[in-house]
Amino acid sequence: MISKKVILTGNFGVGKTSLFNRFVYDRFSDKYLTTIGVKVNKKVIGVDDEELSVLLWDIAGEVSQDKVPISYFLGAAGIIYVFDMSRPLTFKEIKKDLDYLTELLPDSVIKIVGNKKDLLTQEEMNHVLAELPMECNITTSAKTGENVEELFSQLGRLLLERA
Amino acid sequence: MTTEKSPQNLGNEPNKNEDLMLSMIREILLKEDREDIADIKAHFDDNEKLAERINPIIEIHVESMKRKFPREYQKQVERIVERKIKASQDELLDVVYPVMGKMVRKYVNHQFLSLKEGLDDRLGQLFSFKGWYNRIKAMVMGVDESEILLRDLDHTSIEEVFIIQRDSGLLMGHFSRNETIDRDVIAGMLTAIKSFVEDAFSKERQELELIDYGTYKIFIQSFHLYYISVILDGSISSAEKDALSAKLLDFAEKEMPNTLANDVSPSDYETLSMQLSKYF
Repeated sequence: MISKKVILTGNFGVGKTSLFNRFVYDRFSDKYLTTIGVKVNKKVIGVDDEELSVLLWDIAGEVSQDKVPISYFLGAAGIIYVFDMSRPLTFKEIKKDLDYLTELLPDSVIKIVGNKKDLLTQEEMNHVLAELPMECNITTSAKTGENVEELFSQLGRLLLERA
Repeated sequence: MTTEKSPQNLGNEPNKNEDLMLSMIREILLKEDREDIADIKAHFDDNEKLAERINPIIEIHVESMKRKFPREYQKQVERIVERKIKASQDELLDVVYPVMGKMVRKYVNHQFLSLKEGLDDRLGQLFSFKGWYNRIKAMVMGVDESEILLRDLDHTSIEEVFIIQRDSGLLMGHFSRNETIDRDVIAGMLTAIKSFVEDAFSKERQELELIDYGTYKIFIQSFHLYYISVILDGSISSAEKDALSAKLLDFAEKEMPNTLANDVSPSDYETLSMQLSKYF
């Protein structure tokens, strides 16, 4: 089975660890515990007839991606950049952050994820997506689990295509 | 019987004669050239004859090239080699790393051995019983004598060995005496800890070498594109550390491929794991 390193990154409190826990353990907690450094876990995902072992690195949130130690990013085949759709501050620097990540890891697959969709109405969500300087690939809710499996399934398919 | 010549026939007769004459002249003039051409053609068609003529000329040219090559092409060759080295620095480092490490270690070991032998000689002259030796050793090391006795009894065993990609933390090979819960996660977390410590202290060329965890020690030998992590049960002395390090360098030199792909294929994983089990 092929293994790939995937990193979950983004601003503070956008729900990276919640997405991580929902995906790996299928659980959610309202308590906010800040991630210190990094947490690593693994999950095997099935894409069509193939299996992929995803080694998921949940990196502590930073206001700007250039503040994250570079060594955490190295060797990553996939990046999940998460922002909180209910807090504009978390996607204010999205273009700068993604330019930085693309330059650092030009060959990796990047997924831009708008999390906490359960906190917004459809109208508010449309407004946020229209304001973004780039396309948001998927909107999720770690709380309800909406689109979380779909996010990793899409990413897994792209990673296997490139393998 | 007489043939009547038509005016047309009368006109062609001198032309025919002229052609015949020209042909004869051509034959006379070109005879030698044609013979020469036939001779040359025969030489070209016969490989042996051709080689007989050409080989000495080629040999002279080869000799001349050998003499002139360094002068004529030195700069171009240097440029090509320089370009090639720059382009494949990673591969080069991976080849050189284990050899250099071994050489440095050998030298340091030799120096320590000389020092130790010198000390042993001196101590041997002063004391003849092991108990006395241990007492003095304890005094020199500043530790309790019982600790030295315990250390002699302590047996260190290798529990697990991981070969891990340096950047991604992906497991490339593994050996274990017992079943491990999730070796991929251990490899990833070890890489994260290693990255965290090395980034936090940001000392140039300093690497995490040992992690203490209860009775376990995690010994880390870093290479350019990967590192080998050995989980030990029990304490480890400097000499044992050196021996383990030498063994890992030897393993890297003999068993590790010179180039590493981004992905770890299941067959590569199996091969390296099998080699690890043979070594440990």
